[in-house]
Amino acid sequence: MALLRNDQHTLTGVYALDALDTAAEVARFERHLNRCDSCTGEVRGFRETATRLAMAVAQPPPASLRAAVMADVARTRQVPATEDRARHARRMARPTLLPRLAMAGAALGLAAAIVLAVVLVNTNKQLNQTQQQLGQTQQELSQAKRQLILTQTQLAAINAVRTAADATLVTKATKIGGRVTLVKSAAKRQLVVTTSGLPPLKAGKVYQLWLIGAPGHKIRSEGLLATPRGGRTGPVLISGVLAGDTLGVSVQQAGGSIQPTLPAVIVLIPAA
Amino acid sequence: MRASEPESLRPEEGDQYLDGLLARAARGDQAAFEAVYDTLAGPVYGLILRVVRDPAQSEEVSQEVLLEVWRTAARFDPAKGTAATWVLTIAHRRAVDRVRSAAAATAREQRTAEVPVPHDVAAIVEASLDAQRVRECLEGLTEAQRESIALAYYGGFSYRQVGERLGTALSTIKTRIRDGLIRMRDCLGVS
Repeated sequence: MALLRNDQHTLTGVYALDALDTAAEVARFERHLNRCDSCTGEVRGFRETATRLAMAVAQPPPASLRAAVMADVARTRQVPATEDRARHARRMARPTLLPRLAMAGAALGLAAAIVLAVVLVNTNKQLNQTQQQLGQTQQELSQAKRQLILTQTQLAAINAVRTAADATLVTKATKIGGRVTLVKSAAKRQLVVTTSGLPPLKAGKVYQLWLIGAPGHKIRSEGLLATPRGGRTGPVLISGVLAGDTLGVSVQQAGGSIQPTLPAVIVLIPAA
Repeated sequence: MRASEPESLRPEEGDQYLDGLLARAARGDQAAFEAVYDTLAGPVYGLILRVVRDPAQSEEVSQEVLLEVWRTAARFDPAKGTAATWVLTIAHRRAVDRVRSAAAATAREQRTAEVPVPHDVAAIVEASLDAQRVRECLEGLTEAQRESIALAYYGGFSYRQVGERLGTALSTIKTRIRDGLIRMRDCLGVS
């Protein structure tokens, strides 16, 4: 298997130049890419490199192109950003249903009336248990539904910041690699944090977000970053941002801490 | 606490500026999109022309690509790469799609007689100041690496087709392209 993975890894260049042969090959490599952070970084670098190759062959397009494109633009609706994170609602627990009735039936053939009574009591108990479990499952289901609605509300809020008329984007490399990107809306006093390429941490360490007030003001924890998927985390919505606030990301012990320890701060970005 | 200044949206910082324009275009700002067009239509058209080799078809593909950029601008994610790369990746894919279908490939082979197959990269790359660095870096590759990258990227050939043209094993083409791109990337200082 290691050999196969290796084989896939060397396809980064071919993939970045759109030179794989078939859609199936592309799909297989993209599956590998999802699990391979170093490949993702390499493909990204190769694509930026290819961009330079494209820039080097720039040609003035025919004048008719501009008019044609702008006419299309004026009558073409744009698609919204895709957000598929809402799908990850909590999984439901499965109820265990009336398990031993069949066995109870077998025992019936052998046993006396007294045994029958015991079995009936037992079965009743199991029925009660099952009903309780069903009740629990329903509770969990409605919890999951609430969670889903919460997630959807949050996604809507995140999109609202991203599409705010005064939204600005700032991105900054951290001291230990990777980038942190903020989309900020002063009018909404909110910002959205995403990260890419942050190095994986040792067990027992986490990335934590902080909103740091102007000197003399409070430092507020904004929670932990989730484990990156495909080298990226977020979007995380932060509200109540005031003028002079700074967003910080630090490396902390798992579970997070109440105050950031200064040497652990890997990046600071004006938040407002 | 604020030791280093973050990058912000200034026109002289090409990548950041373009990322910001695209974000505005994603919110329906047509003026911002026109600025994106003015910056990227040249590279988009030039790249597509290089791959497709027919001016009329290239204009058609360019129009599709630029409309796609407008339509899906909200899907651009600056955390994944620059706006220029997002746009030119779409352009390259569309150009490749156009020439990979069997019929199109045959027709293009016939045009090969008029337009040389892009073996000689130095001749392809324009003599602009921007392209100077790219040309220098290309010269730092081995002949074999340069040829494989040019056929795949500017020629739009699949790596199997590149292998067939050069009479070289697939696995060799694969590592050649990767090694060449690593060298190019490091030479150009792409992070």
